[in-house]
Amino acid sequence: MWQCLNRKRQNLAKLTEKHNLKGTLVCVEGIDGSGKSTQLALLRDWLKSIGQDVIFTEWNSSPLISQTTKLAKKKNLLSPRTFSLLHAVDFADRLKQVIAPALKAGFIVLADRYAYTAFARDAARGVDPNWVRNVYDFAIKPDLAIYFDIDPKDAMERICFNRAPKFYEAGMDLKLSSDPYESYIIFQSRVIKEYNAMVDEFGLVKLNAMDSIHSKQVKIREMLKNVLIEKGIEV
Amino acid sequence: MEKFKRKHDYEGLLIVIEGTDGSGKSTQLDLLKRSIQDQSYGVMVSEWKTSRLIANVIDDAKDRNLLNATTYSLLYAADFADRLENQIIPALKSGFIVLLDRYFYTALARDVVRGQDIDWVKNLYEYAPQPDLTFYLDMPVDTLLKRIIGTTGLDYYESGRDVGFSTDFYKSFEIYQKKCLEQYDWMKKEYDFKSIDGTKTIKEIHQIMQSEVQKILDTGILD
Repeated sequence: MWQCLNRKRQNLAKLTEKHNLKGTLVCVEGIDGSGKSTQLALLRDWLKSIGQDVIFTEWNSSPLISQTTKLAKKKNLLSPRTFSLLHAVDFADRLKQVIAPALKAGFIVLADRYAYTAFARDAARGVDPNWVRNVYDFAIKPDLAIYFDIDPKDAMERICFNRAPKFYEAGMDLKLSSDPYESYIIFQSRVIKEYNAMVDEFGLVKLNAMDSIHSKQVKIREMLKNVLIEKGIEV
Repeated sequence: MEKFKRKHDYEGLLIVIEGTDGSGKSTQLDLLKRSIQDQSYGVMVSEWKTSRLIANVIDDAKDRNLLNATTYSLLYAADFADRLENQIIPALKSGFIVLLDRYFYTALARDVVRGQDIDWVKNLYEYAPQPDLTFYLDMPVDTLLKRIIGTTGLDYYESGRDVGFSTDFYKSFEIYQKKCLEQYDWMKKEYDFKSIDGTKTIKEIHQIMQSEVQKILDTGILD
């Protein structure tokens, strides 16, 4: 009995099984500066131009909680577990109110970051990876999940050319180093390691973030076309 | 005296009073707090849903009916994590007797009644330390109803109106509280609650609690 329960708890039913909804869920993942938002914006414009119904949703943007989380981050008030749970609230709110209804209605849903962001960041903060995966048990498996792989030094050059890394972005809450730049590299390297492990675990499609904007977009459109064809949608 | 060894690795003691709304928890908590303080122990009290970070968000979201069952569970879990890590554990580490009005058992009962998978909810709280003592104020649902109608009145969520059992407030409250009581029933055994008949007088209940607490204090583990 207990073994059975335990096994069930390790099994992420929804995140590993195909959904049966009419719509298509695409998400992009990667650390800040990996170019995922640029790619998603290009994809969105293209899909709209060919007449597809598209909805866009991004990490930490739910009206329910995102302001609270941002405020708490500013004040450096969050323990890793509270940090994790607040982002789970945001995700759950968007999933139930935006993502799932749009998928049921047949939309293409474009998500800038998905549950994998939580898995990568929270594990990098020392939260038990199984615990976080169980928290996000209700998430729907994306039809296409793209991970933009980048060296943390390259990402830092892109995002920090005119500012220092932010407190949580640099993992300063973990006291890895008193220097935000050094802390950023240590922390984001951990996040990247978690992402890379998820390429196999969840079938994320890994793209090299240093490739040209054009070549990445060509690949992404090709992959999405194939996903849509499988669903009987010709574009 | 072996049996009163602490159930966690902290210096202090963790004592919980559980029970549904209107079961008399806060009255008993006040009495217990005073009687322990009178013996020169440091006491800290923490109530359910009071984290400076999230409690307001929950109240506001409830007022505006913004919550679904999942966000309801997760927000309470976040509130709990914030209080546990910022207040409760630091107090336990420095040797306080921490008295809690509700613990994660409340979340288990309410979330499961709202249709959440029990293993999912248990996972949310699996890092919580085991209390040294958990008192449970056992109240029949009809007594509860009278108490609540006579004091605070029926609240939307406490009546489980969000779950949609019935559009009639009274009926909904009755069904919701009954279902919560069913959850407490299995938890009594699983989590080793000291169940106390909530219809006893305030004084009688206090004496029962006080004597249980005294047994632990007399072991001298806090000295």
